[in-house]
Amino acid sequence: MTVLAVSKLSKRYRRGGKPLAAVDDVSFEIGPAETLALAGPSGSGKSTIARLVLRLLEPDAGRIEFEGADFLSLSGATLRARRARLQMVFQDPLAAFNPRATVARVLDDPLRIHGIASRAERPRRIAALLERVGLDAGLAARAIHEISGGQRQRVAIARAIATQPSLIVLDEAVSALDVSVRGQILELLLDLQRQERISYLFISHDLGVIRAVAHRVVILDAGRVAESGEARAVIDNPQSTIGKALVAATPKLNRNTPP
Amino acid sequence: MRRLRRFFRTPEAIAGALILGLLVAMALAAPLLFPGDPQAIAGPALLPPFQDWSLPLGTDRLGRDMLAELFHGARTSLAVGLAAAAAALLIGAVVGTLAGFAGGLIDEVLMRISDAFQTVPSFLLALAFVSIVGPSLGVVVAAITLGVWTGPARVARAEVLSIRERDYVAGARVIGMHPLEIAFREVLPNALPPVLALSSVIVAAAILTEAALSFLGLGDPNRVTWGGMIAEGRAVLRTAPYLSIVPGIALVLAVLGVYLAGEGVVESTAVRRSLP
Ligand SMILES: Nc1ncnc2c1ncn2[C@@H]1O[C@H](COP(=O)(O)OP(=O)(O)OP(=O)(O)O)[C@@H](O)[C@H]1O
Ligand SMILES: [Mg+2]
Repeated sequence: MTVLAVSKLSKRYRRGGKPLAAVDDVSFEIGPAETLALAGPSGSGKSTIARLVLRLLEPDAGRIEFEGADFLSLSGATLRARRARLQMVFQDPLAAFNPRATVARVLDDPLRIHGIASRAERPRRIAALLERVGLDAGLAARAIHEISGGQRQRVAIARAIATQPSLIVLDEAVSALDVSVRGQILELLLDLQRQERISYLFISHDLGVIRAVAHRVVILDAGRVAESGEARAVIDNPQSTIGKALVAATPKLNRNTPP
Repeated sequence: MRRLRRFFRTPEAIAGALILGLLVAMALAAPLLFPGDPQAIAGPALLPPFQDWSLPLGTDRLGRDMLAELFHGARTSLAVGLAAAAAALLIGAVVGTLAGFAGGLIDEVLMRISDAFQTVPSFLLALAFVSIVGPSLGVVVAAITLGVWTGPARVARAEVLSIRERDYVAGARVIGMHPLEIAFREVLPNALPPVLALSSVIVAAAILTEAALSFLGLGDPNRVTWGGMIAEGRAVLRTAPYLSIVPGIALVLAVLGVYLAGEGVVESTAVRRSLP
């Protein structure tokens, strides 16, 4: 059983008249409670794939199967309802929220939209969600710009798990955070995966982080899959030119792994 | 509080606020100070100002109290100005948000409609509308609104176009929010500041347009208006110029006051870029 199966996905942008293949014939699968990492240099199409998978962008070709059903054929209310199972955490936790929102409103929205809890019950659910991601329930009344970056990313994770998704797309979700905060957030994500069996599509340019948290990795180059496989095996012994270059560009990694 | 202090830093803003305050006070006090019909005969016809202290500004050709008319005229000007501006901002914000957020065909259609309104001079539009529908306060407000809603619509659309690319809008889609809720609850409030900055210009323009319509005899006949007063005085401009001059000065001051106060608000809320 797979949670997400992407096959032959393509997306072209037109830039100044000539088309640019941002994503070109990309296929991969993610199983339950599995973390698949997408790695690759800047502009290799990682964010485009994330947006395609979330239906924020429509592909030119290819198939996306989510929880065994064709995800691309959904539209309108059916698509919105299905979105409960497929969530996202963005890179910049400040840009990811309405600047006028409070923590409570951010968490209230998904519960209300998907009818998960009655109005009277929602404050309790919000408090429980905050506690689940290691935050004080008293934070609910704060404005989103009144909490720290790390706290904000925890709120983003709380919002993502509010609707009990089977898959969360994390586009550089820990890249903007301090090293110490990053470790805590990764720990939280791993803990959630163990407890709730959530799968992750984990986008990062940091091979060290990928090696630590991902089961498998897909390395992209200019929109195409350069190589893929078990994360440690690929990173410890890359076969593709781009894989070798990425590993060489990650100094800490080189020191930890014997040649 | 700090914003208030910053507002009162420039003399223009203070002058604007004073004039606007006076205008509002006149409008509010009109029914208290001058109860009864301001269009009723109050004394001898064409009494010059400062002759009789029960009629400080004198009387017009029919012997109506000029001061009472001036106060009640302030009421009409302010009511029409505020109502037309509120309607134009509301319609503009909604249309601009829909066009910018929906994009595609909806955007195309709404913007072509807005173009059509924009190519006709707003005063002609108001003139035509009132001539067809007939003069009354509501019709005058609607007629003025027709000519000015496109400005706020364009500003709102431009703002929405940039906001809709932000991550938080994508985030709202990801949690399954309905597009209309995203447009009006998530995007519109953040697009409002530059739209609201237009309000003083629109109020000022609306007051002027109302006066011009009344001057041409297309104002609400049951209400005193400054434009109507100026038109009234025109017939005796040589012998009794004060009949046109007094409401004329009131009109100029009102427009200036609204504009200056509005500029002051925009200035005091804008981020200060350079140190003094
Ligand atoms: N809206 C767009 N219009 C035109 N081209 C785009 C657009 N979005 C992305 N691209 C191009 O598509 C390619 C893939 O971009 P994408 O954002 O997916 O890369 P990425 O792997 O996420 O890069 P990064 O690591 O810098 O985030 C790039 O060449 C980019 O310039
Ligand atoms: Mg990216």
